[in-house]
Amino acid sequence: MSSRRAAPPAPARHPVPVGAVDLAVRIGPLRLRNPVLTASGTFGYGDEYAHVVDVKALGGVVTKTLTLEPRSGNPPGRIVETAGGMLNSIGLENVGLERFRREKLPRLRALGATVVASLGGETPAELERLLDVLGHQRGIAGFELNFSCPNVARGGARYWAVPRRLERTLARLRPLTKKALIAKLSPDVTSIGDLARACEQGGADAVTACNTFVGMAVDLTRLRSRLGRACGGLSGPAIKPLALARCHEAARAVRIPVIGSGGIMDARDALEYLAVGASAVQVGTATFLQPDAALRVIAGLRAELAARGIDSVREWSGVLCGEPLGEKPAAPAASRRRTR
Amino acid sequence: MSAARPVWRQSRARVVRQDDHGAGHRWLELEVKSPFVPPSPGQFVQLRLPSAASPVLLPRPMSVAGVARARGALRMGFLYAPVGTGTLALAGLGAGSEVEVLGPLGRGFPLEHPGTPVLLAGGRGVAPLLFAADVLARRTRRGRAPRPAVLLFGARGRAQLVGLEAAHRRLAALGGRLHLCTDDGSLGPRCDVVHLLGRVAPGLAGPLVLHACGPHAMLKAVALWALARGVPAFLAMESMMACGTGVCRGCPLPRSAGARAACDPATEPSLHGNREWAMCCAEGPVFAAEDLDWERIE
Repeated sequence: MSSRRAAPPAPARHPVPVGAVDLAVRIGPLRLRNPVLTASGTFGYGDEYAHVVDVKALGGVVTKTLTLEPRSGNPPGRIVETAGGMLNSIGLENVGLERFRREKLPRLRALGATVVASLGGETPAELERLLDVLGHQRGIAGFELNFSCPNVARGGARYWAVPRRLERTLARLRPLTKKALIAKLSPDVTSIGDLARACEQGGADAVTACNTFVGMAVDLTRLRSRLGRACGGLSGPAIKPLALARCHEAARAVRIPVIGSGGIMDARDALEYLAVGASAVQVGTATFLQPDAALRVIAGLRAELAARGIDSVREWSGVLCGEPLGEKPAAPAASRRRTR
Repeated sequence: MSAARPVWRQSRARVVRQDDHGAGHRWLELEVKSPFVPPSPGQFVQLRLPSAASPVLLPRPMSVAGVARARGALRMGFLYAPVGTGTLALAGLGAGSEVEVLGPLGRGFPLEHPGTPVLLAGGRGVAPLLFAADVLARRTRRGRAPRPAVLLFGARGRAQLVGLEAAHRRLAALGGRLHLCTDDGSLGPRCDVVHLLGRVAPGLAGPLVLHACGPHAMLKAVALWALARGVPAFLAMESMMACGTGVCRGCPLPRSAGARAACDPATEPSLHGNREWAMCCAEGPVFAAEDLDWERIE
């Protein structure tokens, strides 16, 4: 794979044929046919939308976060719509490791999806046990470690937002699998760059920037939270500028690939994330509006790149990452980045 | 056990008609291009306006009030009140406008359940029951309905008995009776639907089966009435939703102790609920009275 470039591509190129655009990217040991994945929690376990979405055509399916035991999730309300976004307080409801392995994984294998299993744990030991079981399972291409759920009392974003804990945990998990290990980070931290660096040091293949932002909404009639818990996680177009900045910060901090996530509704949103340094992107809330949203982003990306005369997404990825945007050029070290 | 493959589809639809229906309500008719499985009474569709026409992000779950086939296309009717940002934007759409629909979603009323069907409607909750009356009338014509249904329809006042004429027509077609009541006594007795049920029920040929839609407070009263008498009752519930398909897990309703005990999490379809919660969109929106914990429902 080519390296991410610091210099923007030359302007006014001639368009290339749409079919000639190469969208393949590499995330550590994982080769994706295109850089668009579904975001965890928005695409079920990968088979629920299979009758309307060709899951093979997606770059990857990141599953709902799995925990060792099934979880029943938080009390209602779990969803609140806000200006340009939505708050959720699902609370990691999931079928648990065993049922996923027994029932969901064979279906995903049959569908031919590139599966990234999202794993959640309250302690490093719980994540170890999950990887002990799933680390070498056929049909799983990689793992996204959910270090950033805003909706659980234990093992959520706050617990994991400690660089040394992340680094040590990843160092313990790294020997348990040869598949891609991706760390999904919270935006609600002092420096997402510090967390991303800790993950890189610990042996992560990539980081996802970022999970939802902690948010609230008040029911003025009943004078209480509109969610079952005080706070939830905000997603959707409302957070795109915020998440884009976190993605940029993470991408400048590490040499491993960054997967951008937050409010991507169409291909142009994805192009922004890729430009500021993401190697791939995740589509989440948009899927609730249109189940085939991720496929539309893939088709749109191909068309947008073709119209710009760019025949490989890897050429576009990181064009604005090498230097601090709007500031003087950075030290050259930051531009010698590579996509593994 | 795994759930049957979902049948819902994503489709474009065209507004063929939208007009005032009294007391601030609207009647909307959409024509959907096939393939789109016709919804049954109690099922809903997710309706999304083009981004340019709507300030809201999420699609809106809309209960279907009627279905007809016209020139090979499917027409669906909706009765709604423009009360929020999304429905206000919807009310602004004229004939010819395009929207997106996802459906049919959820599980509707089990109209084949044996017994005399008693339809209970509170305010605009009448929408899916008008549709249910249509289906029962069709069955009556084909000699497949065991007994004529009755509709008990209550609202705050006469004006809020929206779709009253349509209800009259349908019940006439059905050979069934329409009973009305209002909170202010402006039409029919001054009482709520559950009290009306208490008055009407003794005169009906049993056994009865109740199908209800309306505010949760009314549905709770209907459920408790039915549970106390061992009458089967099916209630169309509401919840905030994001996806409408069971994927986002955003619309839980509390299961009753009995339903919790009967729920085997290892075999429950994963799109439905878990031992504690039932997802309104996928397992409902119509639930049997004994399956929900009414004390915890708001």
